Amino acid sequence: MKLRTLGLMAGIALGALGMAVPAMAQTVIKVWSIDGANAPGVGDTLSKEFNDANTDIQIDYRIIQFDDIVNEALRAFATGNAPDIISLDNPDFALFSSRGAFLDITDRVAASSVIKTDNYFEGPLNSVMWDGKLYGVPKYTDTIALFYNKDLFEKAGIAEPPKTWGELVDTAAKLTDPSTNTYGITFSARAGEEGTFQFLPWIQMAGGGYENVNVPGAVEALDYWKAMVDSKSASQDVLSLGQWDSTGTFNSGNAAMAVSGPWELDRMVEDAKFDWGVALLPTQTEGGPRSSALGGFNYGIFANSKNPDEAFKVLEFFISQDERLFPDFSSLPARNDIALPETGIALKDAALKVFQEQLQYAQPRGPHPEWQKISKAIYDAMQAALTGQMSAKDALDQAQATIQGIVG
Amino acid sequence: MSRILNSMRDGVGFDLILVGAAMVFLVALAGLPLVYNVVMSFQQVDMFTLGSLVRPFAGFTNYVAVVQQPEFWLVTKNTLIFVFASMAGQFIIGFALALFFAQNFPGAATIRGLFLVSWVMPGLVVGGIWSFILAGDYGVLNAILKGLGLTQATIFWKSDPNFSLWSVVIANIWLGLAFNMLLLSVGLAAIPRDLYEAAELDGANAFQRFWTITLPMMRPTIGAVLSLGLIGTLQQFDLFPALTEGGPANTSNVAGYWAWQMSFQLYDFAKGATISVMMFVLVLFASVVYVRSTRHEVRG
Repeated sequence: MKLRTLGLMAGIALGALGMAVPAMAQTVIKVWSIDGANAPGVGDTLSKEFNDANTDIQIDYRIIQFDDIVNEALRAFATGNAPDIISLDNPDFALFSSRGAFLDITDRVAASSVIKTDNYFEGPLNSVMWDGKLYGVPKYTDTIALFYNKDLFEKAGIAEPPKTWGELVDTAAKLTDPSTNTYGITFSARAGEEGTFQFLPWIQMAGGGYENVNVPGAVEALDYWKAMVDSKSASQDVLSLGQWDSTGTFNSGNAAMAVSGPWELDRMVEDAKFDWGVALLPTQTEGGPRSSALGGFNYGIFANSKNPDEAFKVLEFFISQDERLFPDFSSLPARNDIALPETGIALKDAALKVFQEQLQYAQPRGPHPEWQKISKAIYDAMQAALTGQMSAKDALDQAQATIQGIVG
Repeated sequence: MSRILNSMRDGVGFDLILVGAAMVFLVALAGLPLVYNVVMSFQQVDMFTLGSLVRPFAGFTNYVAVVQQPEFWLVTKNTLIFVFASMAGQFIIGFALALFFAQNFPGAATIRGLFLVSWVMPGLVVGGIWSFILAGDYGVLNAILKGLGLTQATIFWKSDPNFSLWSVVIANIWLGLAFNMLLLSVGLAAIPRDLYEAAELDGANAFQRFWTITLPMMRPTIGAVLSLGLIGTLQQFDLFPALTEGGPANTSNVAGYWAWQMSFQLYDFAKGATISVMMFVLVLFASVVYVRSTRHEVRG
């Protein structure tokens, strides 16, 4: 505990050092994002291009690791050293926007010729709204759908991917074959944001939401998940596997279906030695309401930025490059007016079409300033039920009580 | 003037400087953060007040809220199990190994040195390795157990609530074992040989020699090893994110990891501070018990 507090103090001290920016004629706009940590990303590449093309405004770009960026931003904001622009994972966004830490850019966007709210999918746009006002702009997005191994489906004599929850459980059971170490399905029910990311859509499909998690359909969904784990149609390790490792078992042919997202496509094209496809997430009843998880990042301008006009110009530049998101960075734009160019890889192009369709149903987590606590209540309940410590109903009731205390 | 200078070089002044330096160091690096932490646990903390010391006073509401969390008692139980099981495992196996290597067979010192490898490795790496070993479907340990015919079913060490905490305990025992062994070896080496020779002449068997010579002579060492073990185990952090992330459903969550989750994943800094203050009180209590239990002893 001492070390943590020390870390906080060291952070504040470092932040104070950072304040000493040399005086320059041009305006410096500080931009923070996670891009560029491992490979060239959106933020670092565009910042460099912007600096090369402009002299009056320069971007001071800083890479921050995914795990640190919210803590770093909180500290920086508290000590008055926040950057001008930051890009955050969408469920973390409301932590700042709801408290007025981000600039209300409703009017600026209304007057902008580059950023038009009509062009955005509903889910991503909702994640930057708070109280009817616009506090940011979606950067890129992703969602989850159902990957399935067409070869295994054919071998089992199953023509089509499952359309309803019931069908999913049956199909998973049919495809399970312990003699070849094949599970019917894999997903991630991990103790963390990924677990909520994967389970919340099921609550939403059943007519619930993050503020209303114990609807009867959600209990039914959790019972279905438990049935798949109990019958060994899914490995019990879905409780500790992240989405990347979980989908790895699909790629190696050890799971016939996987719930995962478009970030897997490149690896799957490379690794999967079989024919595969992507289907929309199954619904509670045939033709029932759809939903899916909304991933991806948003841009926000901090309210205490000294140069909000210049910061908005930089933001407009970033958004003006959205057409390059997919070809250059393999990220999906959160916009309905940008058609993805064909990649020439048939499996990938077919999959992307499904993901684009699924994106229309994607709903944000929150937005709520205490999202992380709500999320913990949801994944704790999910895990308590899947491990049989509580019934699905009791677990979700307990989560609802916790969430009620947070949402009020 | 020269008297003062003189005393600074040699005398009371010099002592004061030494004490002062130690106190400044202690207060700045341990005292202030500790006080800051305690103060924070009685305040409302949010992003607007994170950078200032003066925040709205919250009384005991943070403490009440922490105790009312549905996972509070589970985490408390887990913490106690984790601490006692880890310490017992590290100590008993460490002591056994120390006695074994004290037999001075050829190469004993070298092999004992090699054991330190586990202690040198960063916790996250150890966690990563054990994560492979304890994996469910393709885990090394399961393959061995099945190969030996001890079990037919796959044991999901990290995902089964009956095993999740124990998987971290196993990794933690392995991590702290070498350190325990080393300290205990040093203690063993300090016991004069002639005591054993005399006892042997008097006809004491191996068990009697261990019980009446080794254990009493090792008392201060054992006390130190257990204290360090308690501290090391309570501050163990790296293994949790690498192995179970406290899951499933908090069945392997302990106070230290929970405090971190509160502060740096749920951004509730006040509750994070509150949990760490509770941990501090627990350690303080344990220390008082330890000090009292050894007060009347003659140290060797």
